[in-house]
Amino acid sequence: MKVIIFGGTPGSGKTSIIKFIIQELKDLKIHYVKFDVLSTDDDSLIKQKFGVSSESKISGEVCPDHYAALEIPKITEKHKDKDLIIIETAGLCLRCSPYVKEGLAINVLNILAGKPSSYGPLLTDADIIVVSKGDLISQAEREIFRSKILEVNSKAIIIDGNGLTGEGAIDVAEEIRKVAKSPINLTLRNSMPTGICGYCYGSKILNSEETLKRYQFGKELKSRVPNLNCGKCGFKSCNEFIRAVLDKKINENKCPYIKEK
Amino acid sequence: MKIKKISILPGYNKKKEKENINKIEIFEGQKIGIVGHTGSGKSQLLYDIEKLAYGETKTKRKILINGEKPDKSLKTDPTIKIIGYLTQHMNFMTDTTVYDFLKTHIITRGKHNTEEETEKIIEKVIFEANKITGEKIKKDTNLLILSGGQSRALMVADLAYISESPIILIDEIENAGIKIKQALSLLIQKGKIIFLVTHDPILALDTDKRLIMKNGGISKVIHTSIREKGIANYHSWINDYVLGIREAIREGKKVDELKLICTPAGVKK
Repeated sequence: MKVIIFGGTPGSGKTSIIKFIIQELKDLKIHYVKFDVLSTDDDSLIKQKFGVSSESKISGEVCPDHYAALEIPKITEKHKDKDLIIIETAGLCLRCSPYVKEGLAINVLNILAGKPSSYGPLLTDADIIVVSKGDLISQAEREIFRSKILEVNSKAIIIDGNGLTGEGAIDVAEEIRKVAKSPINLTLRNSMPTGICGYCYGSKILNSEETLKRYQFGKELKSRVPNLNCGKCGFKSCNEFIRAVLDKKINENKCPYIKEK
Repeated sequence: MKIKKISILPGYNKKKEKENINKIEIFEGQKIGIVGHTGSGKSQLLYDIEKLAYGETKTKRKILINGEKPDKSLKTDPTIKIIGYLTQHMNFMTDTTVYDFLKTHIITRGKHNTEEETEKIIEKVIFEANKITGEKIKKDTNLLILSGGQSRALMVADLAYISESPIILIDEIENAGIKIKQALSLLIQKGKIIFLVTHDPILALDTDKRLIMKNGGISKVIHTSIREKGIANYHSWINDYVLGIREAIREGKKVDELKLICTPAGVKK
């Protein structure tokens, strides 16, 4: 089993390029996972087109990258018999980017989307950087962009990619074939930023005192729920349940496991 | 690196048929036209050459340099890049001044020796760019507000004096809104190999041979005959006459004389 993680801002062409890469790796047993925030049908399109197993994971109210980090071990455990597990992140956060040390980290980078120096671990921790949409600008600018990438990530393999023509897919596929297998225990390349404030518990009021109150209530509830994300309260995760309690949409005793104060 | 020869090994067209050609060999100093209808694969061929493709692009063509498979570093390292590419795109996306842009590119290409030399190259590029465009480009102009013609002029001069590649790819220079003749004379220097995608009959016939594109593949190779070159020359004379009228109109003059009988320049009765 090899774990391949794709990161990249929305619209950078991750899915299109992944399709061409899967095409190149047809001889392997592949499982494709798409993480997204609200909805996606990429998983079923890819299943239809290439006949590989696939699934989608919708993060909803939780940070999609934290959610991915929580889900990846479950996915790898379930699909350890596959040759490749291709994980496409929602690609919203430049800082979280849940790349794992024991797998290949691929960043699809839209050349039109700003300076490489303003990207965080999404770019600086990647093994391969697939530069997309390069056909829209001049050769001189492409060369300058390349040197700016190397300033922040000198070890990266930079590949010109194109989601329309499939250019670059063969080179990425070659790197995927070369990379070592991943063990079952994975570690993140970089720690993710914490999210601990009232806003994490769904506060909408821009007032620090109100938000602090909400944080304290939320933290107190958090210590009493089982944090199993069992779903028996009707919510996908304990965090969503806590938010609903704080919003007074639901009573806390809806959780069958909640501890008394 | 000295480029003596570049070879194109046939790949496949859009219908997945093998290109019906033998190995195409182009030697130093030659100029090659690439012609065909829109969507026939002209730009893709330039792209394959720029990438020094070796079966990994969708056409599966292979490009050899001096008869051999090119080293991987030639594809990626801008300091030893052997191919200069003037694309069809006329817009810049970097929010910076003309001066800073050129300076960064000089550093990227590994061409800067001293501060003074860098300054000289920048001056030269802007000077030459201004010869082929209309309104003048200034050092401190922001790249993003350059017009289409100014951007293209800057790219031409950049290609000529900063990239200095032995192989030059030019994609439809006639659409750029710049002075084509002067632009080409900047780019086409002695000993270079030139690939020219064009719809312009004069440019297409002023070549050593031309590749005819169809369905995404090279369908034919035609060596330009002496007669064709003569026709191109005549055509060029007519073109210059029309351009002269265009210039006069742009400068606010009135056009009241019409020449009906054209005589090619340099041809005496």
